[in-house]
Amino acid sequence: MRSTLKNPYVYMLFVLPTIVLYFLFFIYPMLTSVFYGFTNWNGLDTKDFIGFDNFVAAFKDADFRNSILNNLYILLFSCCIQVPLIIVFSLLISSVKRFQGFYKTTVFMPSILSTSVIGILWGYIYDSDVGLLNNILKIFGIDPIYWLADTKWALFSILVTNAWQWMGFYIVLILAAILAIPKDIDEAAMIDGATGVQRAWYLTVPLIKPIINVVIMLSIAGALRVVDIVLVMTGGGPAGATDVMASYMVNKAIKYGDYGYGTALSIIIFIFALILTALYQILIVRRQERVEY
Amino acid sequence: MTKKLVSVLALSVAMSAFLAACGSDSEKGGNSASPSSSASPSASPSASPSESPSASASESASPEKVENFTVSLRHIQIGEAQKFRKAILDDVVKKTEAEVPGLKFELDGVEDSVNRFTKLPAEMAAGNPPKIFDLFGGAGDAQKYAKAGRLLDLTPIIDELGLKDKFLNVLDTFSVDGKVYGLPIGGNTEGIFYNTDLFAKYGLNPPTTWDDLVKAADTLKQNNITPFAVGSKGAWVPNMLVNTLIGRIAGEGTNAGFITGASKWTSPDVVAAYQIVADWEKKGYFTKGELGKEYADMLNDFVAGKAGMMFDGSWRSSAFKDEAVGAAIAGKVAFVALPAVPNGKGDQTSVNANYANGYGFSSDLNDNELKAVKAFIKNLYSDEMQLRGLLEDGVLPSMKLSDESVGQVSDPLVKQVLDVLGKAGTTFPHFDSVVQSKVYTETETQLQKLIAGKAKPEDVAKAIQKVQDAENAAAAK
Amino acid sequence: MAASIRRSIPHVVMLAYVVVILVPFLFVLLSSFKENNTEIALHPFGLPKSWEFGNYKEAWIKAKINVYFFNSLYLALTSAVAGVLLSAMTAYALTRMRFNRASSWIYQFVLIGMLIPGNVLFIAQYLLVQKLGILDTHWSLFLPYTAGALPFSVLLICAFMRAIPFELEEAAVVDGMGVFRMFFRIILPLTVPALVTVFIVNFLGNWNEYLLSFFFISKDALRTLPSGMVQFRDAFQLNYALVCTGIVFSVLPVLVMYAFLQRKIIEGLTAGSIKG
Repeated sequence: MRSTLKNPYVYMLFVLPTIVLYFLFFIYPMLTSVFYGFTNWNGLDTKDFIGFDNFVAAFKDADFRNSILNNLYILLFSCCIQVPLIIVFSLLISSVKRFQGFYKTTVFMPSILSTSVIGILWGYIYDSDVGLLNNILKIFGIDPIYWLADTKWALFSILVTNAWQWMGFYIVLILAAILAIPKDIDEAAMIDGATGVQRAWYLTVPLIKPIINVVIMLSIAGALRVVDIVLVMTGGGPAGATDVMASYMVNKAIKYGDYGYGTALSIIIFIFALILTALYQILIVRRQERVEY
Repeated sequence: MTKKLVSVLALSVAMSAFLAACGSDSEKGGNSASPSSSASPSASPSASPSESPSASASESASPEKVENFTVSLRHIQIGEAQKFRKAILDDVVKKTEAEVPGLKFELDGVEDSVNRFTKLPAEMAAGNPPKIFDLFGGAGDAQKYAKAGRLLDLTPIIDELGLKDKFLNVLDTFSVDGKVYGLPIGGNTEGIFYNTDLFAKYGLNPPTTWDDLVKAADTLKQNNITPFAVGSKGAWVPNMLVNTLIGRIAGEGTNAGFITGASKWTSPDVVAAYQIVADWEKKGYFTKGELGKEYADMLNDFVAGKAGMMFDGSWRSSAFKDEAVGAAIAGKVAFVALPAVPNGKGDQTSVNANYANGYGFSSDLNDNELKAVKAFIKNLYSDEMQLRGLLEDGVLPSMKLSDESVGQVSDPLVKQVLDVLGKAGTTFPHFDSVVQSKVYTETETQLQKLIAGKAKPEDVAKAIQKVQDAENAAAAK
Repeated sequence: MAASIRRSIPHVVMLAYVVVILVPFLFVLLSSFKENNTEIALHPFGLPKSWEFGNYKEAWIKAKINVYFFNSLYLALTSAVAGVLLSAMTAYALTRMRFNRASSWIYQFVLIGMLIPGNVLFIAQYLLVQKLGILDTHWSLFLPYTAGALPFSVLLICAFMRAIPFELEEAAVVDGMGVFRMFFRIILPLTVPALVTVFIVNFLGNWNEYLLSFFFISKDALRTLPSGMVQFRDAFQLNYALVCTGIVFSVLPVLVMYAFLQRKIIEGLTAGSIKG
């Protein structure tokens, strides 16, 4: 009777396509990355094994180190500035009854749009001559700022755009958790005379800590994943000011034909991602109750 | 039970159809990819054209002789400013399609630097470039691809079409071992365009001497007009000035000597050229926020009278015609060479002259495509089109034209360009068609750092020379 | 009085946020109807002097938005459907069929994929599709899109299917139902909420994907919206009105879809990220 669910052929038929595709586009590229990472392949003719040269070169490469730093800035910006803001906004939305749905829908909207289109849109807002921002500055008599052309402003400008796109997404995540908290706890605190801010800080925030952890986790992963917006808005410029590891890698491989070096960089990015994830798991999540998915 | 069997069958049929679709595609790719990859270690370019008919058989797979076929053509004539050149290309395409039965060109317009530095290198690596494509000459482009066996050897074709002696002495950067792999469409020189109205308004002399140039820049600056419009988002734009400054200060042979080691980026003269750029940056001679400006912005600022001068290629002369993007200042623009630099070495009348941009052709062609390519070459590289290029687009001919033809030039700006070239004692190429691509990209990276104030001229020179040494050493192996 | 002020503070803050979200769209919409850059620069928020509907016609033809739009739509659809179907089949086999040891190995194996950030594999996938000879065809996007969705989709659908009581199937087996009917008639309908979530996540991810579509496709006729729009901007960078028109064209359909399906989309995307 059980044989229906024990037919190995059917099992294979159900599992094999997934395994094949998965192997082809995940495992095999991972293996070839490791292979190419140890060569000086230029995409055309030379392909010699050069041992760890690429990895040594990567850490000596001032431009790559600069792009690592930029990734770190993005990471710090999202964890230290964005996440607190996200929590505040979600608490605010949860505290109102009217327009709650409207706020939620609106702030979430940018995250369903294509990053490349958003890059184009914001590139236009940042434009030094006709852009919206400088037009507003002009009203206050402030000289135009070259948002994307000035090495001092470019990364910040991209960070703002990135935050504009993704904050709403996280707000909705946290909002859902807040709204899931049983009402009676909150009401009990209200009767005890706790103010709204007190209730939010002492009651709500501890209760949604697991989801905040998830948001931080996602922000870290997101900070390492940033690349589209950079390629579309600045291409890594001006003078490398907005280069992140991934954009630097893409440019090295595709633009300069340094496939060997580029794949070595991709392995380094992968290792960074693993280390950050592991660190976060060990340092933060372990000490708290396990997140219930 | 039978129901089960039926559904198993149905599903497996569906699955196998799906997999077969993938499989047949990958097989096709495997076929066409193999000749190029097997050709690459031996680096014998002649091997691939002979193999190509069999390799691309899959593309003309239709057994019955339907002669309809398409040929992909990558060009860089996009946007308003390139419309004259695009019109010439369109005419050539139309004419060629009329001559070759069944032929349909598939035009793909891509922005110049995207094509040159992103698309084409990737396609070359993959071995699937378009059949016809915009190509630059030099060690970083045509010669590199030719050595890897990706480019069609054009020597027999230009022999057959009788074009061999028609070209000026401009095929070197497209040649490897005496074989020609690309044909320059025309030439240009890079110099100073200036707004004669603005110069008259402020009582300035034409920038034909160094002192007049500096005085003009200072005066414009004081009057809140940008002395030089520039769009440095693509670093090739400011690199034009760097190139001519190097030729002027370090001598006209300098650029050609980087790959042989005869000249060095770190030599005091080359550093001095970068120093001038750095000084001018500091003085605010260039557009504010230039690192965020596109090449097109530069023309825009110049046309709008926001800038008094711009250092640009002579191809821009066509922008100042009545019906073109720069119509607003048509007739109010003049062109001069960069004036002699005080204490410069070598011939101070020398100008930069480039015949580096043209078309290349994939080595992977079947018979039909080869026919199309031949007809395309015949129609594009003709006296008629060369003359049209000169008259309509201000592009200098890469082929010999009669004096009578050249005499038809009426556009004052094109005349000035011809005049500049006529007066030049010698010419020198842009280093972008000389040095290896890694060196060239390093010059772009470093120049942007210099502009951003993040690197000093000496650091820039040192960094470029380091890559140059590595590339020269690799080439010597 | 004081209480009502305090109560309105959240609204004031949130309205400011909403304005920040909406103003860029308004700016683009207004600009798209304007005649030229000067008009945009002088009156960024003024209504256009004359409504230049011609911009829309020009963008539709010149930018080939229609082509890009269709390409995006059918690629996003087909690969999302394929991804959902494959993952559902796999999840079914892993959770419902009796090959426990193999299943747990396969499950772990597929989960490794969750650890790999997408862009890490970019170069190697590029070389792979090049080797398969599908570069510059839609296969070079369809296959990575479908494959890329698998680890997450399998994980999520597995979690869902595990919760379905086994008694259902036991009864079905007694009734003589085959594996396939069981899958299609019993399990799939029960899994629909998870399938919809997975579909939405995959569809939007594919619809918005830029990196692969920009570098794997070079034929204009095959480009998708994200890469096509970038190409369009590069070609017409000085004509801001036209570029804005292009933005409106590419954003509008998504917003319309969002207006109708917002609850489902929000649920899907957020659920997707948490499980991931």
